[in-house]
Amino acid sequence: MQTANQIDISQARLALRKSSNPQVKEFANQMISDHTNLEKSVSDLAKKLGVKEEDSDTSKQLKQQAADETKKLRSLSGKAFDQEYASHEVAYHQAVLDAASKTLIPNAKNAELKSALEGAAPLLQGHLQHAQQLQQALGK
Amino acid sequence: MKHTTNQARLSIYQAASPVTLRLISCVVLLVACAVVPLTVVHSQSAPPAQSPHIVIMKQVRFQPAEITVKPGDVVEWKNEDIFAHTVTANDGSFDSGLIQPGASWQMTVKNAATIGYHCRPHPNMTAQLVVAGPAGQAQNPEAHSQGEHQATLKWSLPNRPEELHPILVNFTAALLPLAFFSDVLGRIFRRAALHAAGAWMTVYAAVITPLTAAAGWWWKRSVGPELPPNLILVHQWLGTTAVVLFIVLAVWRWRFYKRGVAPSAGYLAFALLVVIALVYQGSLGGAMVFGQ
Repeated sequence: MQTANQIDISQARLALRKSSNPQVKEFANQMISDHTNLEKSVSDLAKKLGVKEEDSDTSKQLKQQAADETKKLRSLSGKAFDQEYASHEVAYHQAVLDAASKTLIPNAKNAELKSALEGAAPLLQGHLQHAQQLQQALGK
Repeated sequence: MKHTTNQARLSIYQAASPVTLRLISCVVLLVACAVVPLTVVHSQSAPPAQSPHIVIMKQVRFQPAEITVKPGDVVEWKNEDIFAHTVTANDGSFDSGLIQPGASWQMTVKNAATIGYHCRPHPNMTAQLVVAGPAGQAQNPEAHSQGEHQATLKWSLPNRPEELHPILVNFTAALLPLAFFSDVLGRIFRRAALHAAGAWMTVYAAVITPLTAAAGWWWKRSVGPELPPNLILVHQWLGTTAVVLFIVLAVWRWRFYKRGVAPSAGYLAFALLVVIALVYQGSLGGAMVFGQ
């Protein structure tokens, strides 16, 4: 989950640098703010529970995909960048939601951790819908 | 012949009249009856201190997802989440802007309506604001000011201009035409009692009509810009002119009464004009309240 947060934050920072579309910038700012807050609450909980996040297959896979996507985004600019960023955010949040519901939540042994993960779902759902709206507004 | 009837009238009037003092006390009483509720009103019209309705934003949800309030109520959205949210009407009628975690935002609800709203950054956060007003008032231009008014059978002291003006108008609208017809019938049947009734009703009309007009101006002040501008312009000045004319008529009429004579044809013609103006004035008022 922390990996997912960091990936989204760094891609939003890239979007802030490269995009000039106010809707994209607004979305990116929101991703930075929301995922920073989520990251903090997850790490507070991890500290409290005394658990460390370890690299899992899921996180490795996410990181690899993110690196590829970042490379692709860097090569684009203007409207093409905005559209790629929006459609990636849709796919990415969908993927993280899937990972959370299929892998992370069923495997969480601690009840508090489990409920925290379940609590993150509506946020990710919201981001997904927001990204879909952005994608539509950008005409793709 | 004429002389004798006048004398007969005179004697009736005199029998009825160690009057001037009584007249004054009656007028004072009438004014008191009308003014006391108006002042009571004033002390009551201060809005009661009211705590806002609270909607909590937490875990990317509005809680409760549906809230029912009345026009004029204050709703407060408190962000107890760890994320920033907005309160954005689906129809665009309001938008809080970003409400940071720990912050809150308040809004005073206006018209009766059911408004869905959402959070812009999290479109899956949706909820509903139900503003329940009296049936059919959502489109009523007065809905703003008669906010807390509910259409119930429960009686309470009329204390708002939109209640007082229509109540007072009944007296104005009834007294002057009846006074006029009473005088006309008095002339036809040569009955002093009918003339006395005409004189007294004219005085009552002159006492109550300034109050009617005052309530009308008050009403206009509270809903002003929502009224049809041409109708209200004519209505307000015709009404104010009517107040002056009523007082002129009453003074004029009372002089005939004191002299114990029937009102002159000139007086009756003038009174008829005022009655016609009054009917027109009433139709303008009706058009504004009931929309033609």
